[in-house]
Amino acid sequence: MTEKKKHKVFIQGTITPTFIADSIAKHSGKTTIGAHDIFLGQVRNDLIDNKTVAAIEYSAYEEMAENLFHEIREAIFVKYDIVCMHIYHSLGLVKTGEICLFVFVSAKHRKDAFDACRDLVEQIKAMTPIWGKEIFEDETHTWKINN
Amino acid sequence: MKIKILVFGQLSEIINASELELLAINNTDELNKKLFELYPKLEDIKYTLAINKKIIHENTQLYHEDIVALLPPFSGG
Repeated sequence: MTEKKKHKVFIQGTITPTFIADSIAKHSGKTTIGAHDIFLGQVRNDLIDNKTVAAIEYSAYEEMAENLFHEIREAIFVKYDIVCMHIYHSLGLVKTGEICLFVFVSAKHRKDAFDACRDLVEQIKAMTPIWGKEIFEDETHTWKINN
Repeated sequence: MKIKILVFGQLSEIINASELELLAINNTDELNKKLFELYPKLEDIKYTLAINKKIIHENTQLYHEDIVALLPPFSGG
């Protein structure tokens, strides 16, 4: 059985360790799962032109992003033998050291969990209309560019 | 013939708004030309267009009340 309902991806502010722990705990009843793979994106204190990033402020074209997340999820379910997946992305201000992206893929076996999770993260980075404004310690800013 | 433009990321700093409306624009080439006239700095930044939430890569006909989004390079995650 797969879980395909459209769920809400965006969370205001950082994704807390408690939220992540609760999310893991919710899977204890799904006993067909043998492997979870979790990706956590954390805001890094990049040094750009001698200024240190203190936080990233995320914004998105939310409606378009939600549609794309849905399409990406559907395609991942077709491509890999997985049981369920969850995607959460921050909006608004996230400080360095805090979590801004939480991707959680569960499968019967590890290979599908690993492969699907990596694929999912790469697609989110490349395809979803989300922008990060990197805010420096002196309160000036620049716009993040994904590699 | 009226279209709504949504502006995101660093482009909103150039245009100094997150939304605008333009009249009498027939296609996306005309739209880009008009935007470059109004905001010359836009020519320095690569962006893609989405019409009604679908990304387009070629000149595309626009219709009354279309919503066009200006999308600078993504940087989520």
